[in-house]
Amino acid sequence: MRLFPKPAGRALFFLLVSFGIAISLNAQDSLRVDSMILSNRAGLEHILQGNVAGLRVKSWSGTPGAQATLNLRGLSLDPTDQSTMPLILINGVPIIASPSHITGIDPLSYYSPDQIDRIEIMKDIDQLAAYGVQAPNGAINIIIKDGEPGSIHVRGSVSGGVNFLQNMDYRKDAFYNFNSFARREMYDNGGFVHEQNVLVDGAGTYGSYLFGLTNHSDQGIIKNTGFGRQSLFLNAKYNISDRFSAHFYNNLALANRNGRYAGEYDRNTPFPVIADETFFMDKNRDIGLLSSMGLAYQFSSALKLGTVAGLSYEGASRDVYVPSNMLDGEIYASSAAYKRQLLTLNTTLNYLHDFSDALKLDMTLGNEIRATDDRLTSVDGQRSMENGGSDFVKVVTGYNANQVNAFSDHEKENLLSFYGIWKWKYKNDLGVNMVLRADGSSLYQNKWALYPALGIHYDLKSTLEIPVKVKASFGRTGVLSRPEVYRGQLDAYGVYYGGNYLGIGQLYPAFGNAKSVSVTQVDAGLSFAVLPSVTLSVDYFNKTYRNFTYQRLLPNISGIGYEYETGGAIRLSGVELNLDAKWIQTSRFTWMSNLNISFYKNKIKELPGDIENTSLAWLGSLEEGAAVTSLVAYQGKQPKVIGNSESKGFGGFSNTFRYGNVSASMMFTYAWGADIITESFTSRYYADRVGNVFPVKSAETPYYLISTDTDKRTIYQGIRTVEDGSFIRLSRVALSWHLTSMFKKLGQLSDIEVFVRGDNLLTLSKYSGINPEENITGSRKYDLSHTGTPLPSSVALGFKLVF
Amino acid sequence: MKCWKFILIAAFPLLFSCNKGMLTIEPENRTVPEGYYNSAQRIQQAVIGGYVDLRRALLANYAWVMYGEARAGDLNVVVPYQSMVVNQELTADNRYVSELSDWGYFYDVIRDANDILDIIAGADDEILNTYRRNLFRGEALALKSMAYFYLARIWGTIPSAEKNNFGKRLTGEEAVTLAAGWASEAKQLLPWLLLNDDGIESVALTAVRFNKTAITSLYAQEQLWLGKAQEAYSVLSNTFTAAMADSLSGFGLSNGTDRRTEIPQNPLNGNVVRMSLDRLNAIYPAGDARRSSMFSISANTATLIVRDATLLELLPRREINLLLAEAAWRSNSLDQAKAYLTMAAAGATEDYSALTDETFGAALLLERQRMLVGTGQRVFDLIRFGKVSTYIPEFTEDDVEKGAAYWPLSAVSMKGNSWSQNSFWARP
Repeated sequence: MRLFPKPAGRALFFLLVSFGIAISLNAQDSLRVDSMILSNRAGLEHILQGNVAGLRVKSWSGTPGAQATLNLRGLSLDPTDQSTMPLILINGVPIIASPSHITGIDPLSYYSPDQIDRIEIMKDIDQLAAYGVQAPNGAINIIIKDGEPGSIHVRGSVSGGVNFLQNMDYRKDAFYNFNSFARREMYDNGGFVHEQNVLVDGAGTYGSYLFGLTNHSDQGIIKNTGFGRQSLFLNAKYNISDRFSAHFYNNLALANRNGRYAGEYDRNTPFPVIADETFFMDKNRDIGLLSSMGLAYQFSSALKLGTVAGLSYEGASRDVYVPSNMLDGEIYASSAAYKRQLLTLNTTLNYLHDFSDALKLDMTLGNEIRATDDRLTSVDGQRSMENGGSDFVKVVTGYNANQVNAFSDHEKENLLSFYGIWKWKYKNDLGVNMVLRADGSSLYQNKWALYPALGIHYDLKSTLEIPVKVKASFGRTGVLSRPEVYRGQLDAYGVYYGGNYLGIGQLYPAFGNAKSVSVTQVDAGLSFAVLPSVTLSVDYFNKTYRNFTYQRLLPNISGIGYEYETGGAIRLSGVELNLDAKWIQTSRFTWMSNLNISFYKNKIKELPGDIENTSLAWLGSLEEGAAVTSLVAYQGKQPKVIGNSESKGFGGFSNTFRYGNVSASMMFTYAWGADIITESFTSRYYADRVGNVFPVKSAETPYYLISTDTDKRTIYQGIRTVEDGSFIRLSRVALSWHLTSMFKKLGQLSDIEVFVRGDNLLTLSKYSGINPEENITGSRKYDLSHTGTPLPSSVALGFKLVF
Repeated sequence: MKCWKFILIAAFPLLFSCNKGMLTIEPENRTVPEGYYNSAQRIQQAVIGGYVDLRRALLANYAWVMYGEARAGDLNVVVPYQSMVVNQELTADNRYVSELSDWGYFYDVIRDANDILDIIAGADDEILNTYRRNLFRGEALALKSMAYFYLARIWGTIPSAEKNNFGKRLTGEEAVTLAAGWASEAKQLLPWLLLNDDGIESVALTAVRFNKTAITSLYAQEQLWLGKAQEAYSVLSNTFTAAMADSLSGFGLSNGTDRRTEIPQNPLNGNVVRMSLDRLNAIYPAGDARRSSMFSISANTATLIVRDATLLELLPRREINLLLAEAAWRSNSLDQAKAYLTMAAAGATEDYSALTDETFGAALLLERQRMLVGTGQRVFDLIRFGKVSTYIPEFTEDDVEKGAAYWPLSAVSMKGNSWSQNSFWARP
């Protein structure tokens, strides 16, 4: 048996040459036409946007390499995106999917869509319970392509295009009037976006293989901030014997992105900007690796044992240098490295048993180990400029120890799980899924939690002769709390006796009752084949999250600031409609559509007593039944709900037309009912200076927020606008032409395709800013934290060759 | 390929997962309470934590002197809120005055002390020998006693932070009675001189940690506050015998770096804490030798001469004779009292041998004002001697009856414990 058959040399030659040509040309592209409309932007979430009922992908930032937020039936008391992010798996192996705080580079950009066969979405509890605390907010499983039968196939694709801002109104930009001198030079239409992929695959009795390399580059619309990613991957299945098989997958990616001062940094930055950014440096570099090895042994047709080991690793580093001409004589430099690793080991025993011709059982018993290990080291310093040498090096390497701060952090967590899945099938009509999972976490004193689920699926076609399928499921899962909750912390207070003795004391005690948030989920669904080619499905879900861990602020006679306790309950429910239709399907012309609409509602079910003395005090002005995502501001002296940051509904609408060798696809995404509040950059006052009264000017709205500065002075922050964030966007468009028939004479060339692809070509919205999705929390803060850069449009032309 | 080989491969993770330590991770770079106090050195860190919190309680915003000589007008602290304090505007809408009326740091000390007592109770003899066990326990009791004593003198009625009656309202007398009980116990445990890490008696170390001299002085102060002069006199005279003269030590807070940067490391810095020349002349008449030995005098101001900049004295040795004098006087032993006062006030121009029962109190109060300047005791003395309205003209005797001598409570201190402002400061 040969893993590398004869044509391997030819393939290798082609691979190297084409990749070299692709990079040197810096243009052209060739993409495989998939059932989904691909995107010019890196990050797999972009191709999912609008495709799945219930999956909200918010394109909040135009910065290339930034991750769009993903939410799949997720809700949390923490409004940031990571807390509700679904579990992401590749070939069933969990990966590190959220961006590091160091570089913010999207780990989903490490994978090229070209290597993906399909993406599985899991939303119902009878699917999710098997993942336990890993997947309280849904799961997305990305299945990598296998090699296709044949000794070798070579697929090359190249695309290239430009980014541009349509009708850019700078007064709509969140950085309006901030560092105007540099800003004028910052945005730049025509930033190049290009991608090259080479894949080689084959399959035979020995198994299959697919390997390749990719290059993606996106200069975005902010000068000198481009994002780049290169990856190498291998997906190989090897039949060691008739019964014993192995599966290897590796993806190694290098990603880089540069930052820019004006337009990307906190508007409230403490550094005075006094010149342009010529010497400003912000370099972000990531290494992302996923490696998995699966072994399976088939004892008999009914019994199979398998084990899969996965290692997901990301090394992120960032180097920043802010030169003295921006800091009025002071230079600042920092360097940080964050290494995250996720090791998983999943062993399953699968048994199939037919009790009779009608009743069948598919049983899986499994054991999963999950170990995370995150390490951060950073150093930063600031000092006045001196002549000679590299100031950056001097500061970062501790030129003067008194001016340099160093920090390290290390976080580990182990999860040990045992689970069982029993899938019962009766006459192909009735299916019953039973799941039981026990999760043990190193984070908790009471280690173990049990998560059961039950799902029933019934196809009415054969019994009632109507094309309807119904399903219902009920079960529990959990959300892990933050690690600091359970262990308590001692704190170094200060030194004594000539600095010889260190004084330490308790910052807060260990929380012996720490446990995960409990999630109870109910799902129900109905799928109706209106016509043989038109299917309408309706899904309902209801998730109740209980027992959040929060801080109970203690009276200061306690000697510690707070202790943890659990409580509170919130609910997320929704209805998801999905229509799949093949309106026309002939040999010459095809028209297919997908329309999905999701209606979501969240509310507070239960709040802790005396909430003002907890870390959830910000919910204090909300009553039970109010939305968790309510936007609250003061009017007069009273807090008032002035909006809701979450949409009432959202979804996507896609159409694909194919005529002969030409196909056209377009994806519209939309959301409505979300409010956006924008904090004013000018209506910001010390309360005591304005007589503790707001508004101050007649032009101001009556709404304001209250905060305190480091000196504990009260600040009134005016709300400039409360706006409707509804929008409809032409998110992606693709036009492709298969030219195979024109090149028949080219022997082994089996397909050639030319395509044009566009992203974010049109947005209709009343929002006064550039992008109605640009604020992650639904609130554009004074300092622009959690606000993205303008989202560009892009158009790219590409072609693909298959040998 | 034999299937048993594969079963071995698959069984490996199962065996791995059965490892008991799988769900137990020792944090590598964090100090967590569980298992930390496994040596005498680490337990001592907890004790030092108590001192650091006491330092925060007394040094943040120059609190010790704001509660004492600054409030009484003897010392000026060059900070904007000094004027509010000396004008008795203690409920002013000012961050720093508000922080001064916050009792949180004192309760941090009490928490530390109770944690230390729990840690010591759980430590076996291999970790703590008898000397260290007694020392640390004595220091914890002393810290707790001192914290409650300060609380009662600054705010009067205060809540208990003890496990058995947490939050219970304690009158000032109840609180000081409890404090005196802990001080009495600590007195049996604390040594005259502490040993340094090499096992050698260290005067410098003794001066910044509780010792038998300091705890005896503290106990005597508490008994005098409670009006139990006979007990104070008995303890003082039985403890401070001539044989122990060489073992006496004062007690102060070691100055040092605090994680909270607002804690001054040179609290008696002459640029910040000073006395006006008028006040100096009023307190120390011309000819009093202490004018030059205690102060650097310039054209307009006098600043305290700090002989040891590494510490801030709270219970100085020079107070012992003053305490003996007061205890003797209040125990109707006027002759002994006069003898102690004369010894204490070396350098004074006055002849104290002619004092009577009626005049002794004023003379003693004046000497305490002179000799203890900078230790923060002035207002407490005025309260104990019933002279608040005499020396703080902003208050009438009626005001004092209503609680004017005590500090108001900040909103932070009242939050979450159903506590309300004391009657005088609750006035509109």
